[in-house]
Amino acid sequence: MVAVLRWIVFAVAAFAMNFPVIVTLVTSFKSARELSSNPGLTVSAPTLANYASVLAETERFNIYNYLLNSLVASLLGTGIAIVLTLPAAYAVARSEVGQRLLLPLVINLRALPLVIFAIPLYMMYQWLGLLDTRLGLGLILAIVNIPLALVILVNAVNDISPELDEAAMMDGASPLRVMFSIVRPVIRPALVTTFIFGFITAWNEFLFGLMLTTANAVPTTVGASFFFAASGGGVQWGTASAVMILGALPPALLGLIMYRQISGSMTAGALKG
Amino acid sequence: MAILGKTHGRLFLSPLAAFLLLFLGFPALVNLVYSVSTVSFETLRSPTLSGFGNYLTVVRDGEFWRAFGFSLRFGLLTALAECLLGLFLAVFLAPLLSKRPILLAPLMLPLMVAPAMVGLMYRLVLHEFAGPVPYYLFEWFGDSPAFLDPQTAFWTLAVVEVLQWTPFAFLLFYAAYLAIPDALREAAALDGAGAWKILRFIELPLMMPTLVIAFFIRFIDGFRVFDNIYALTGAGAGGSTTSLSMFIYQAFFKEGAIGKAVAASVILFIASLLFLMSLNRLARLRRR
Repeated sequence: MVAVLRWIVFAVAAFAMNFPVIVTLVTSFKSARELSSNPGLTVSAPTLANYASVLAETERFNIYNYLLNSLVASLLGTGIAIVLTLPAAYAVARSEVGQRLLLPLVINLRALPLVIFAIPLYMMYQWLGLLDTRLGLGLILAIVNIPLALVILVNAVNDISPELDEAAMMDGASPLRVMFSIVRPVIRPALVTTFIFGFITAWNEFLFGLMLTTANAVPTTVGASFFFAASGGGVQWGTASAVMILGALPPALLGLIMYRQISGSMTAGALKG
Repeated sequence: MAILGKTHGRLFLSPLAAFLLLFLGFPALVNLVYSVSTVSFETLRSPTLSGFGNYLTVVRDGEFWRAFGFSLRFGLLTALAECLLGLFLAVFLAPLLSKRPILLAPLMLPLMVAPAMVGLMYRLVLHEFAGPVPYYLFEWFGDSPAFLDPQTAFWTLAVVEVLQWTPFAFLLFYAAYLAIPDALREAAALDGAGAWKILRFIELPLMMPTLVIAFFIRFIDGFRVFDNIYALTGAGAGGSTTSLSMFIYQAFFKEGAIGKAVAASVILFIASLLFLMSLNRLARLRRR
């Protein structure tokens, strides 16, 4: 009896929490005619026409550009964060500096509303010519990713026995070499998790994409919202749904494939931070 | 005992420190200077010091306090709802999920979708002609409320937020629940404790630190909410859905009131720092 009830609760929760995604997915397969007559959750004649029209449109609304911008900026934002936090994590775990000031500072950064820095960053970007560039967006996404990356990597290095790198140093290897050739391979799983998590976070970021890009470097989250505003005669719900599904697909797929690692790092990041 | 000397340690930290100084330290400084200056988009690079007028403007602005109240209520309410729902799901579904871990995936999916995208999706879900929710409500009950009125928008947004982020609280609680040693439960059961008593006197106390952490993380995220509100209402609904993040964004981009926006940023900065410092102190006191 209780077992059945558990299944029911699971089904209701999964349905309710994924409801917007389900509705959008269903709508993206409806023809224009069906859209006007049937707003429900069923499709009588599924069609791929909406996806075809989104992928064919390149003039006013170029989804390839938005997806490419998101991809490049997210890769930059994740890569830069890892390159900067790996040596820092090694230092925090293995030396006497960094634990008192840098680590708590960076961890608390996660809890600050980043909108605080948005306006001066906007001005700074104007001076530096970084407004509306993928590099500019990527640099900010690195800031967004750094706190969790540092927490995950510090924990990972702390989990390795210090004797491993001690032995290597005895053999005369430089600290940089030890970090790169000894420690990095051992914490590979943590690096992968950091990368996946950072990529999803970066892809899904919205506020800085909205503020710092206008045309050339617009990411998918922002581009999708343009699509709602731009169509003068009311929103084309079929194509809009296809856009939203395409934009949500990369992080969702990544997340579903790696859900174990992500749930692990989410809990660890929250509790050890 | 440290493997890495102080010199090397500092060297390894320096790239990150420099990056943070440039992208956060410098902006924070600009914030401070501009918040006590007169500045417009035309004189962006040459602000003139003018005292604390900007702060007075912000503090006297009813909109600012309205946004602050919105953020506070929104953060508290959604964090509470997410924690309660997440706790229920974690404890009730644990026997099912521990046997079939793959079921975790659909419960985690909402966390992978951009909040801005979810906001856009709800435009469709709640649309009076194209949306399924009004459609079914009309079918079944003959009436459907306006979801984004000034009176109802707060609750609609709260439900949107709770449905997306309950999985986060759930995940944390589920991990904490699994970490409780079965021996403890069995010992209590041997002593004659039923499921309720085990939950009340063993499991809940052990999960308490996680509950507190999850509540604060969700409160902070709810307080600074921006993406889904912007995507769903564009801070419309008669300004009834302006969060503090939204207030700063609008003061800068819509009104061009740079001084006001920057002063509000500094106030939010200081308030957040005070809040975080007291949280950290609380955590340290507990650990002792």
